[in-house]
This record gives sequence, C-alpha cells and structure tokens, in this order.
Amino acid sequence: MTGQDIVATMKNTAASRRVDHLAKGVFLAAALISASFIFLIAGIVLFRGFIPFLSDNGGLGRVDLFHFLTADVWLIGQTFVSNLYGVGYLILSTLFITTLSLLISFPVGVLTALFIAKVAPAPLAKILRTVIETLASIPSIVFGLFGAGVILKLVYDFSMAIGYQSKGGNSILATVLVLALMTIPTITSISEVAIRSVDKTLEHGSLALGASKTQTNFKVILAAAKSGIFTAAILGVGRSLGEATAVSLVAGGRRSGVSFDLLDTTGTLTTMMLEGLKETTGLDYDIRFSVGLVLMAVILITNLALNAVKRRVGSVHVKA
Amino acid sequence: MSRRNARRLRDFFLNAVTYLSSTVSLVALVAILLFIFGKGYKLLNFDLVVENFESQGFVADFYPGFETCGCVAEIDLPEGSYYSEKWGIALSDSTDLLGKTVVEVDYVHPDSPFAYLRDKGIGSEPIPLRTDYDIIRIAFETAPTALSRYGAANMIASLDASDSIREIEFETKGGGIRGSILTTLVLIGLTLLFALPIGVGAAVYLNEYAAVGRFSKLLRSFIETLTGVPSIIYGLMGLAVFVPLTVRLTGATGGNLISGAMTLAVILMPVIIRTTEESLKVVPDDFRQASLALGASKTQTTFKVVLPSALPGIMTAVLLAIGRIIGESAALVFAIGTTIKDDVSLTGKSTSLAVHIWAMMTDEPANVELSATIAIIIVVIVVTLNILIKLITNRYLKKRLGVGA
Repeated sequence: MTGQDIVATMKNTAASRRVDHLAKGVFLAAALISASFIFLIAGIVLFRGFIPFLSDNGGLGRVDLFHFLTADVWLIGQTFVSNLYGVGYLILSTLFITTLSLLISFPVGVLTALFIAKVAPAPLAKILRTVIETLASIPSIVFGLFGAGVILKLVYDFSMAIGYQSKGGNSILATVLVLALMTIPTITSISEVAIRSVDKTLEHGSLALGASKTQTNFKVILAAAKSGIFTAAILGVGRSLGEATAVSLVAGGRRSGVSFDLLDTTGTLTTMMLEGLKETTGLDYDIRFSVGLVLMAVILITNLALNAVKRRVGSVHVKA
Repeated sequence: MSRRNARRLRDFFLNAVTYLSSTVSLVALVAILLFIFGKGYKLLNFDLVVENFESQGFVADFYPGFETCGCVAEIDLPEGSYYSEKWGIALSDSTDLLGKTVVEVDYVHPDSPFAYLRDKGIGSEPIPLRTDYDIIRIAFETAPTALSRYGAANMIASLDASDSIREIEFETKGGGIRGSILTTLVLIGLTLLFALPIGVGAAVYLNEYAAVGRFSKLLRSFIETLTGVPSIIYGLMGLAVFVPLTVRLTGATGGNLISGAMTLAVILMPVIIRTTEESLKVVPDDFRQASLALGASKTQTTFKVVLPSALPGIMTAVLLAIGRIIGESAALVFAIGTTIKDDVSLTGKSTSLAVHIWAMMTDEPANVELSATIAIIIVVIVVTLNILIKLITNRYLKKRLGVGA
C-alpha cells in the first residue's frame, strides 16, 4: 500500500464515520419525535382544556371548574351561557356503563380464555382462537353499526314487551352490550396468554394431589394467572372508557341527569365530545377539550386505582 | 362414592360454563357477519364503488332532428315496469333511500332518443339517460307535465300521447362511495409516508444504536404510553395541532386529508415501532458482525443487511397500519370532519369509509343498508389483511428456524 492509498483510505474512513454519525443522529431524532408525541397530546389537551376555566370566554364569563365537574346538566337550548356546561352526570354514567360492561365481558372473556387454553379439544380451540382474533380486528364503528341495527331493536322489543316506553332502544343496556362485545376479545386474548404461562409444575402438583382436571383449572390455574387476568381487565376498562363512535350510535345522547335505569337513555364523556361539531371557535369548541381532559383524568385515575388493587391482590409466586 | 359424584357433577357444570362462555364470541361474530351481509349485500356491486354519493340533477332535452324509435325491448323487463315502444324506455315506480316515491328508469333502448339527450345548461353537453336514474318530471309543449308523484304508468301514457317533449328533469342515482374509497386510499398512502420513516427510524435507533439503559427504557415507555390513549383524544390533538398547522401551510380551510393522515401517523407510531423492533431483534447478530468484519460501516450494515432482513416484519407493520387506518373513526371525526364528498383533494374535507358509516348513522334517517355495505367492504379488507399477516409471520418464522438449524 502506497502512502497515497493510505491517505485515501483514511479519508474514506473519516467520511464514512461522518455518515455514521449523521445516520445515528437521524435515527435518534426519529426516536425522540416518537417519544415526544405523548407530551404533545397531554400538553395540548391540558392547555386547551383549561382555557374555559381561566379566561372569560369572549364575554361569556369564566366556567366554574367545580360546577363543571359536578353539575348534572349539559347545555340545553342555544343560549351560550357558560355555566350551563356540566359533566358530573357524564362521569358517573361513563363509570356505571363501564362497570356493567366489565361485569359481562370479564367472566365471559376469562372463561373463554380458559376454554381455549385448557378445556377445548385442539381443533375447537383453533377455531375459537380465529373467532376471537377476527372479532378483535373488527373496527369499533362496525360494532356500533351492529348495535344500532340489531341490539337497539332487541332492546326496543324487550322494553315494549314489559310495557316500557323506550326511546328507540337507545339505552344503557344497549351501550353496555355493545361495549361488552367489543371488550370480550381483548380480555380473552390477554387472559389466554396469562393462563398459558402458568407453570406446568403447579398444574401437575395439583393433579398429583388428586384434584380433578376441572378443579385444577379453576382453583389453581386461574388463581396463578390472576395477575395477567387483572391486566386484561384493566385494558378492557380502558377500551370501554375511551370508546366513542360505537357508543354514540346506541347511547341516545342524554343531556341532563344521571340515570341508572337500564332502559333509559344515557350519555358518556365521549358521546358528548362528538356532539355538535359545528363550532370551530369559542367556548363551545374549547369546552370539548375540557371534556377530553376530564376523560383522560378519569382513565388515568381508574388505571392507577385498578393497578393498586392488582398489587394488593398480588400474584402467586412459585419458584420452579 | 356420593362425594365423588358430587365432584363429577360440579366439574361437569363448570366445564359446561366454559363451553357456554365461548359460544358468546362465536354467536357475536356470526350475528355481526349475518347482519352486515344480510343488510348490505343488495347494494354491493361495482357501480357502488365507482359512483358518486351526491345524486346530481339534470335538465335536458333532445337534439334537434331526433326521431321516435318504435323499438322493441331487447331484454326481459322486470315486473311492474311500463314500456313505451314509441320512445324505447321502460319506467317503474320505486322508492329512493329516503323513502320518497320516484320513477326509476329500468331500460333505455340504444336507438331511443332518450339515449341522446343534451344538457339544457351551459355547453349543451350530451347527457344520456341511463338505467337506475330517477326521473323527476317530463314537460311537454302542449300536454300537462308528467310528475314523478303521478307514477310511472301516467308518465308512459303521457309520453305515448305526445310526439315531442319540452324538457326532462332527472337525477343520477347517488349513494355511491367512490369519494370515501379514494379518501381512504389517499389516507393510507399519506399516513404511511409520515409514519414509516419515523417509526422504522425510531425502532432502528432503539434496537441498533441505543445502549441498554435508562434512556432507551424511558423512550420506550413514552412510546408505549401512546397505546393507552383513546382515539378520540388523538382526534383532539389533530384538531388543535395538525389542523391549524396544515391550514397555515397549505390552502386548506379546515380539517383536511393531510391533518387526518398526520393524526393517524401518531396513532400508528407505537404499532409500527413495536412490530419493526420485534423483527429487528430476530435478525441474528452474526449478520451484523459479518458485515462489519467485511469492512462495511455501521450505516451500511444497517441499511444493507439489517433492514432487508427485517423486511417481513416491516411489511407486517404496514399491514397492521392499513387495518387500523381503515377502521379508525373517532380520531378522524375531529381531525378531518364528517363531510361526505365526491371530489377528493389533499386539502379537502372528504372523509374515510369508517367515518362515512358514522356520518350516515348519526343522520336522520340513518342509512343502515349503505352503512352495512361499507361495513362488508371494511370487514373483508381487515380479515384479508389479518390472513396476510399470519402468512408472512408463519413463513418468516419457518425461514428463521431454518437458518438457526
């Protein structure tokens, strides 16, 4: 190698090192951008959501935060008086609906997972897993359409049969059923993973002690998979709380008063955000960010609470 | 002995409960599919895909020197259809999507003067009458005007009694979804254009460059947090950030396809990063070391060895992303809007198939049939994507195992 060659090689190495630096910088930038979106979202919703409580809203007056959080009437009529906005009843009905739908989807989802993982013969398990995957991939708007076209009719017929004047079937019951159907696949697939990852020695131990297969499934495996199953429930709750378009097609858009009557119309935080999208400025526009802020707070608090419960319940630790 | 029987009974009961629970999902899936296919199959045809949603009205008359034809129908006309041999058209009574009675064109003979109408508006464009158009009225020089509400029989009788018409008003069928299909396709393309470089880049950084430690763990947890954010909140972000941004930079006046695609790109970020990273992880370290040992730089190794080996994983990410874009509704309601439009432009307000369903279902009266038809299209695409993803993953896994052995 002549001296010239060595110089050329060194130049090449220097150039390629510069390229390497540049490439690393670009990849790092991409990673930083992706990681920053969560702050962009939280920031913008916080900022826009607080405007109605801090400014005088173009002469309409400041919205009282406490009143907003506790009132049980959402703007009725066209008078844009700021203190007519209230989401207290929406928070309650959102939580009520989510709880009821979890009461259906949790047992059904977990038992389906147990069935697929432990009980069903292999071909049947394969079919059911495909069913669950397909159901999970169906977009929420299709569930909403199904709710509006089928479940509303069923609820309406049922309420007519018991002599209840239903508003076209739009009701808590219909909303709960739609949400339950949507969360079953989520809960099933995550629970199934949890059930599968239970240590085999636990199962064998239980069987060796004389417990039947079914007793082992219900008393040992479900107990050991507790932590994962709880995670599934938390994700299901998150999906129910945040679901918007499907719920808006079956809830009925209630504008005042919390109702726990299953056949009565209802409203959630998300359905109220979807209503009246015509405005592009002013209080009616900004208040939607406040509702979004409340929604995020509700999801966050529910998540923290459920995670605290999960830690309390704990998981069965078994050293292999 | 009886205790054993009691246990058997209890076990049987518990097993039965698991069987019963699993049928819920099966029944739900079958019911959903039956519902959308049952309601939607009638409207499912090629015309739907290529036609406009808005019906378009025309007022037209004949070209000078037309001739009545006296032609015999070349097809078997459906029952309840009235045919005029003199004019060569068949009409029948029908109701439109809103339940209004209309007179529908069943057949136009190729030699009929109605096959050579001209627009009475500017330019006198030729505008032939086609099957499935709705006739609103036919006005004559001397006889009273035949209106659609008097029915098809009256219209044919009035036509047979006259030798010419003054003008005919009709409208195209409408209810097509061409605009929304195009919008969905444009959204898919644009979103991937925004999301893929950033997502794949971030995955490459996290897997190839970042040292294992707190910093990369922190980045990962920030990205993962995005998965828990409901899509309606993404919509709010799009409305507050991307809509004003695109309005300032382009000629858009409000929500538009670019702001929608940007919002979707953020939604897809965690999916793309996670899927890509998983595929980067299974690229054997031997490949990297071999490439570096041969004198390739780190950048060359990343682009020429690592990324090509991870291609199936990136493909999976793309397919997952497409499925999510097609199904997304709540975020787009805010980030684009719910206006169903036929002319699609990047800065326009036209909307995707999923939002098309939502817009029609929240309208009065709700159009369940067309919604179900769109739902068929969405579900078929999503299920096909799922099958493709499975195929890719299976082949990829097999190939990887082959390399390992």
